[in-house]
Amino acid sequence: MSKMMYRAAVLSTIMEEMERDPNVVVLGEDVVGGMGTAGGPEAIGGIWSTSTGLYDKFGPTRVIDTPISESAIVGAAGGLALAGKRPIAELMFADFIGVSLDQIWNQLAKFRYMFGGKTKCPAVIRMAYGAGYNAAAQHSQSVHQILTGMPGLKVVMPTTPADVKGLLRTAIRDDDPVIFLEHKALYAVQGEVPDDPDFMIPFGHARLSRAGGDVTIISSGLLLGMCEAVADKLAAEGIGCDVIDLRTTSPLDEETILDSVEVTGRVVVVDEAPPRCGLGADLCALVAEKAFSSLKAPPLQVTPPHTPIPFARELESNYLPSVDKIEAAVRRVLSYR
Amino acid sequence: MPDIRPFCMPKWGIEMTEGTLAEWMVAEGETFSKGQLLCLIETAKITNEVEAEYDAVLARVLVPAGGAEQPVGALLAVTAAPGTDAAEIDAFIAAFKPADTSVAARGGSSDAAPAPAAAAAAPVTNAPRKIETNRPISPEALKFAEDNGVDIDPIVGSGRGGRITLQDVHQAARYPANPALTGTLSVEAEDRAVFASPLARRIAAQHGISLSGVKGTGPRGRISKADVLALVPAPASAAPAAFGAPFVAVANTPTVTRFDSVRKVVAQRLTEAKQTIPHFYLRMSANVDKLMELRKTANLVLGCKASLNDYVVMASARALAQHRDVNVQVHGQEIHSFPHADISIAVASPKGLVTPVVRQADRMRIDQIASATSALIEKAKSGRLGMDDMAGGSFSISNLGMFGIEDFDAIINPPQGAILAVGTITREAVEDGEGFAFESRMRFTLSVDHRAIDGAGGAQFLATLKSLLENPETLFA
Amino acid sequence: MQLSRDALLAAYRRMKIIREFEERLHIEIQTGEIAGFTHLYCGQEAVAVGVCDHLSADDKIVSTHRGHGHCLAKGCDVNDMMKEIWGSREGLCKGKGGSMHIADVTKGMLGANGIVGAGAPIAVGAALASRVDGPGPNGLNVAIAFSGDGACNQGTTFEAMNFAVVTNAPCIFVFENNHYSEHTGVDYAVGTARDIASRAEAFGMKVWRADGTDFFAVFECMREVLEHVRAGNGPAAVEFDTERFFGHFEGDPQRYRGPGELERIRETRDCLKNFRASVKGASLLADADLDTVDAEVMEAIEAAVAAARAAERPTAEDVLADVYISY
Repeated sequence: MSKMMYRAAVLSTIMEEMERDPNVVVLGEDVVGGMGTAGGPEAIGGIWSTSTGLYDKFGPTRVIDTPISESAIVGAAGGLALAGKRPIAELMFADFIGVSLDQIWNQLAKFRYMFGGKTKCPAVIRMAYGAGYNAAAQHSQSVHQILTGMPGLKVVMPTTPADVKGLLRTAIRDDDPVIFLEHKALYAVQGEVPDDPDFMIPFGHARLSRAGGDVTIISSGLLLGMCEAVADKLAAEGIGCDVIDLRTTSPLDEETILDSVEVTGRVVVVDEAPPRCGLGADLCALVAEKAFSSLKAPPLQVTPPHTPIPFARELESNYLPSVDKIEAAVRRVLSYR
Repeated sequence: MPDIRPFCMPKWGIEMTEGTLAEWMVAEGETFSKGQLLCLIETAKITNEVEAEYDAVLARVLVPAGGAEQPVGALLAVTAAPGTDAAEIDAFIAAFKPADTSVAARGGSSDAAPAPAAAAAAPVTNAPRKIETNRPISPEALKFAEDNGVDIDPIVGSGRGGRITLQDVHQAARYPANPALTGTLSVEAEDRAVFASPLARRIAAQHGISLSGVKGTGPRGRISKADVLALVPAPASAAPAAFGAPFVAVANTPTVTRFDSVRKVVAQRLTEAKQTIPHFYLRMSANVDKLMELRKTANLVLGCKASLNDYVVMASARALAQHRDVNVQVHGQEIHSFPHADISIAVASPKGLVTPVVRQADRMRIDQIASATSALIEKAKSGRLGMDDMAGGSFSISNLGMFGIEDFDAIINPPQGAILAVGTITREAVEDGEGFAFESRMRFTLSVDHRAIDGAGGAQFLATLKSLLENPETLFA
Repeated sequence: MQLSRDALLAAYRRMKIIREFEERLHIEIQTGEIAGFTHLYCGQEAVAVGVCDHLSADDKIVSTHRGHGHCLAKGCDVNDMMKEIWGSREGLCKGKGGSMHIADVTKGMLGANGIVGAGAPIAVGAALASRVDGPGPNGLNVAIAFSGDGACNQGTTFEAMNFAVVTNAPCIFVFENNHYSEHTGVDYAVGTARDIASRAEAFGMKVWRADGTDFFAVFECMREVLEHVRAGNGPAAVEFDTERFFGHFEGDPQRYRGPGELERIRETRDCLKNFRASVKGASLLADADLDTVDAEVMEAIEAAVAAARAAERPTAEDVLADVYISY
């Protein structure tokens, strides 16, 4: 085990996989940073420091610094994948799926099925998502609910550095398009990471980060830490919470969710995306459909309101789910009669 | 249909291993018909009537009434068609092998196949059993299926890849619901002049009310449910007898109801109890103000709906665990004292008084007790209590407080040693320093079998019960 | 560059196959037997064949919604394509793609595409993959993005062109200007008035222009283009002036056509007629040689339709085949 930051787990996994497999290629805006400037290549090395040093090590054919052309970045990743490479494309902000959605949704996600299963599309599209930086409406969003709704995409949203390592490696070695969502407020989080160069976490296996028999809290990403804080607080009162870190929203670990809800009968889904037609609504529907007989209270979701993300500090902090809001929701399902 | 059939010691409930044939109701050589009472069999817990499953002759009685205990599956008698040759019956008895109902047999290691007739005589359909399966199934679902003997083979799993969920097993274990169908309704078509809520339209259609011209008071002038209900004619009530009319007597013919099997058993056992058990009675009351306060909070925190009676069950169970001399059954010359309290709760069911058992209530949290009692009451009300639900019990509680009964004396539920009768809560004035204050008090009467329990023992139990109820936080310790 | 007699016959055969494939579909579609939207390539055969005759299976192409010609020219099997269009589970994409999504990656055909302008970025990606692999004995493998005068207005195409120039990708943007983007004329929709190549030039790549109804012009032009790109000089673009003999889609009433327009282009701008005239004029092939090919092609198309009709239909279970995330 080594201690490293979430962002370092991203970079080291890419580095290791590029060393291991010459077909792994990285492309994105400023992944080299400084191309065509007096500062020269690697003057920046990626704004999230998740590609620093790749260019020096692997050169311009495998580390492709691109113009600001998100459609072309994702489309090129698709072309690289169809031509037998394993591209890792980076969208600097997840919000930019807007200008590249056709390539994600109509192209990469559909190749294998639409072409009768005769091709693979081993592309990873990494993107930084999430609020907490006062980056306002176009640089703070959580987009997993949009992408999870698209058949043909695998959607990963790791919470810990160890999960980054295990899930990103699985994503790179996977033969299908994977959306890899990195929460920008987690980049500096430290954690123990296994050193095994083949450490992988299979998709669709949620992590039970707290165990208790009274209520099930489901989340992933930045908000998971808040859920754990609530669980720890309630544990002191003798209330036991199952806290489920989904890890991947597609494929979904339905079994872990249902197994927990069948014991607790109470569920709170905590999500950073807005409430309508999102992950929270989806999981509430799942338990209503498949665990109705176990439910002791209506499933609840804790999400931001159905608005764009506001800018000012006071506005953003009120917009986001908080420990207090999560705790209130948990107490509400516990007191339901 | 084989002419010659064995009649064996049945197995009731999970724990029954042997029973005594108390009385033959049909004599050897006599003809009986389906549904007729064949015999009474006593187990450690109950005395049960055995009804004939078919028409035949009781050809040979092998175990006479009042004899020694017989293991489950033991051949008690042989039945046959009228006129069957005695030699054939002898041959049948010689060849008979009892079915092995031990745990080993359920594990599948028995070399002898169980006799089909013996198996048919044993009503163990809902007995727990181990399920070996390769099908995907959630742990809770498997546990429920095993605990309740639910056959998972016919279940189509609704989880991903056909995985069986707990809900699937719950559904399989339930009787099919008969939905209350309301059928189709002709609802007035939407037209631009009438702007009414769908519910208002439905109610209007049910009562044949036209909505045109109705003034809506709902949002934005919409015709609401209330607007339509205001137009629904009030049901005509029966005309009261005219004032001053002379009294006329009407026929007052009784409706005759024969005892059903439940009432027969209740009648027989209670008569026996009241006549043979030397009852004595201990009375006590407890201040339950703190308990009522705590119950509100606990229900909120635990998310349960525990009743005050659930707390009485819990407190009694804890007190019984401390006073094992009261937590007893009386069997002939023996007193059986139990480490844990299995509490029978008296429930008025459509079929009469039933006493399902909350098992090991002294080991349960209050929410667990609440869910156990509510499940048992629900089953009792829908007539689905099984033998397993009723068998055993080391103590009974009967609560008539909800009817405003202040206190009463209950009859002991044999072979138990005592029963607690619980009355309503009354507000009573008590001395409070220089003045008076009102407090809520609940009254209890403990009926005790003096053969097994002495006055001091019963009184100590009641003192503990009172202390637990008046200091309810100790129940959560 | 002189083509051998066999190469000439082969090129003619490929063009003729595309022509008859489309003419037959035009008839069959009217019966309602074929589902969905079909866009016919008829009239543009010289471009597909003149381009693809230079390519190996290691070179990639990305096609458009009007993709049958590109597929056939790149080597997709006629029978398997016909079965796909009929929606059979024996089709090239097992009935999952249909006319607009025919692909055969083993042949370097990375897919027809229902989204106008979506193909160019994918072709750039395939070209970048070739850059990772480095040049072979014949230079770099190339990737070709076929686009029409409609797709040339999409931002994705612009992004892809700049991207290819910036990354020096061995990518060729082939613009088939058939004068109509769906039902709108090129004079209206393309601001650079009938000149798409100059747009590509403005992005910093070398461009070529040729008559797309003349197989020999296309073939010769592409020889130069490929020499340039395979040598590692970065991307290039070519604009071919060509004609669409049918409507945008099958069922298009084509009320936008001028009087006598279709007859005129069929008479004077038919690449097959032009080919026949050229080879006869140069005494390279006789009418009889070409007539034999014609007869063989008609037979092949007849057989393909019969096979498609008889082919196995997909089942309800097939809906969930080739799915990698299931719920």
